[in-house]
Amino acid sequence: MVTPSGPPAGAAAGADSGTRAGSGQAQPGAPGAPATGTGPLLEIRDLTLSFQTRYGLVQALNGVSLTVGHRERVGVVGESGSGKSVTAQAVLGLVPAAEVSGEIYFDGEDLLKVSPARLRQVRGREIGYIFQDPLSALDPVRTIGDQISETLRIRGVRKAEAWRRSTDMLRRVGIRDAQHRMDDYPHQFSGGMRQRVMIAMALVAEPRLVVADEPTTALDVRIQAQVLDLLLELAEERSLSILFITHDLGVVSGFAERVVVMYAGRVLEEGPTDELFYRSIHPYTLGLLESLPRIDGEIPSRLTTIGGKPPSPADMPPGCAFHPRCRYALPVCAEEVPPLMRPEGGSHASACHRAGWLAEQPGVLR
Amino acid sequence: MTAPLLEVRNLTKEFPLRETGFRRRRVLRAVDDVSFTVAPGEALGLVGESGSGKSTTARCVMRLIEPTSGHVTFAGEDLMALRGARLRRVRRGIQMVFQDPFSSLDPRMRVQDIIAEGMVIHRTPPDSRARQARVAELLELVGLRPDHLTRRPASFSGGERQRIGIARALALEPQLLICDEPVASLDVSIQAQILNLFKDLQRELGLTIIYIAHDLATVRHLCDRIAVMQEGRIVECGDRTQIYTAPRSEYTKELIAAAPVPDPVRQREKQEQHAALRRSLRAADAAPAARIQSQGVEQ
Repeated sequence: MVTPSGPPAGAAAGADSGTRAGSGQAQPGAPGAPATGTGPLLEIRDLTLSFQTRYGLVQALNGVSLTVGHRERVGVVGESGSGKSVTAQAVLGLVPAAEVSGEIYFDGEDLLKVSPARLRQVRGREIGYIFQDPLSALDPVRTIGDQISETLRIRGVRKAEAWRRSTDMLRRVGIRDAQHRMDDYPHQFSGGMRQRVMIAMALVAEPRLVVADEPTTALDVRIQAQVLDLLLELAEERSLSILFITHDLGVVSGFAERVVVMYAGRVLEEGPTDELFYRSIHPYTLGLLESLPRIDGEIPSRLTTIGGKPPSPADMPPGCAFHPRCRYALPVCAEEVPPLMRPEGGSHASACHRAGWLAEQPGVLR
Repeated sequence: MTAPLLEVRNLTKEFPLRETGFRRRRVLRAVDDVSFTVAPGEALGLVGESGSGKSTTARCVMRLIEPTSGHVTFAGEDLMALRGARLRRVRRGIQMVFQDPFSSLDPRMRVQDIIAEGMVIHRTPPDSRARQARVAELLELVGLRPDHLTRRPASFSGGERQRIGIARALALEPQLLICDEPVASLDVSIQAQILNLFKDLQRELGLTIIYIAHDLATVRHLCDRIAVMQEGRIVECGDRTQIYTAPRSEYTKELIAAAPVPDPVRQREKQEQHAALRRSLRAADAAPAARIQSQGVEQ
C-alpha cells in the first residue's frame, strides 16, 4: 500500500488562498476513517454498486478497494465492463446508482456521506476530471474561455481574475495564442487541442486529485504521446495525485507508478507498475500481457490468447469471475471468490487462489 | 516476380469544400497521388493517423467512392474502366471487413442471412441449399457455432460480430480482403483472437490482405509489407523489418517512437527520448502543413 511522503500535499492548492478560503479541513466522517492529511489522499473501501436495469439489478462494482496516495499516479486498467469507469465516476459522485455501499474517503472525508453541496465543492476544486471525449464534454455554444473560467467563477473568483488565470492555464497546456483562443468555441480546436482545453479546465482550480478517464484514447498516437507528456509534467509541477483510467497497458506502463487491474467489477491485481508488468501473479494480467502484439522483438506465428469473453454483469460466473477463461483454474476457483491479498513470496496483491503458486514460477514473462 | 494482384497508380481523391468565390473551388485532397502494388498472398499494411487518407484509399480502390483520378488494376482488369454488371463481377473478388462491428451489421437480419447476402445477390452458388452449406462452412471457419445461425447481431459481443463480418466478407471467395481497422474497437483480450484468425485465413485460404490500421503493433504482427501514409500521401513503403528497424522517413520514426509499449522500463525510456525528439522537431517545423489547396478551376 501507499505510504504518503512529505507534507500533506495540498501544497500547490493550499497556496491559493483566494479560492480555497472557507473550504475548511474535512473532519473524519466515521470511526476508523483515515485522518486528514496522513492517509492516502483517496481511499476507496469495499465499494459495491448496482444499477437498476430492465434486466433487474446489475452489479457493476463488487467490493472494489483502492487508494491513491499524495502525489501518486495510479493507473486503473480493464476491459469494457470491468468497472473501471464506474469507479472513476463514483469518486466524482456522478453515478445515478440504485444501490451503493462502501466508502470513498477523500482526504479523510467520506464522499458518499457528504451533502450534495459539499460534494459540489469538492468536485472541481479539489478533484478535477478529464473525460475521454472532450467534444461531448464541452459545451459547443459557449467559448472555451467561458467554460474554463466558470470553474473559478462558481467558486467566487472575480471575473477578471478568473479570466486571467484561465488564460494562463490555457497557455500552460500548450495552446498557442491563448489570449485570443479563449474566445473560440470547442469546434475550432482539433482533437488534441480540445483535450488540452479539458486539462486546463480540470486544473484551473488547482485540484489535488485529477481523475482522468481514458484521456488519450480518442487521440492519434503522436498526439497521445504529447498529451501524456503534458499530464506527467503538470503532475510533477503541481504535486498532483492522478487516478488514470485506461484499457491500454502500453499507456499505463509509462504513466502510472502503481497499477490496479480490474475485471468484472473487482480488483484482480494491484501493485507497483514494474512489479505488475514483470512479476504479475494473476493469470488475467499475464494473459493480457502475452496477448498483446509488440512493436519489436520476435513475431510469434500466433498470439497467445485468453479464450472466451468477459462475462456479462447480468450473468456472473460463481467464484472467481475469470475462472471460465483461466488456464490455471482449479475446482476451488468456481466456488470461492479469492480475496485480494499479497501471497507469501509475492511482491504485491492478487485476487487469485493460485497467486502463491504463480509467485514461485520463475520468469513467466521474461 | 509474379504479377501483382492489385496495382494502384497515381490515385487521387479530392473532396470539394465550400465555395469561396467566383470560379474558385477549394478542395481537400484526401488521397494525393498514391501508388502501390499488392502481390498475391501478401499482407500489406496501410498505416497512418486519422485523416491520413488510408480509408479513403481503400474505398477508392473498391470504387465505393469514385476517385478523382488514377488507375487501379485488379487481377488484370482495369477497375476504373468497368461499369455496371462487369464492375460488380470483378469487384466480387475484393471484400471488406469494417471497423465497427456494431453499425456494419443489419440488426434485423439473422446471422445466416447476413453471411449469405452477397451470395444471394451474386447467385454464387445459385442453389440455396449449396449456399446454406457454404454458410455453415464459413461459420466454422471463423470460429462460430452452428446454433449462432438463426440469432441476430444484438446477441453477440464485439468480437463475435467481427467474426460474422469476416465470414460475410469471405462468402464470395474474394482474392483480396480489405480490413479497415478490424480490431480497433475490440477489447484487448479479444483483439488477439481476431488477429490469429486473420493469420489462419491467410495461410489456409492464400488470402491477399490490405490491412488498414493506426496501431503499428497489430500491423507489424500481420503484415509483410507496410505503407505509411501521411496527409494523403505514402511517405514510406517497405518490408516489415525495414520499416520497424530502420525507418527512413521522419514521420515513420515519430509514429514508432510515439507508440506506447507495455513494458514500463522501456516505455519510460521511450517517453524521455520522445519528449526530446519533439522538442527538436518543434523548433524545426513550427506550422503543420496545410493540405487545403486553392485551385483556379474553370467551371
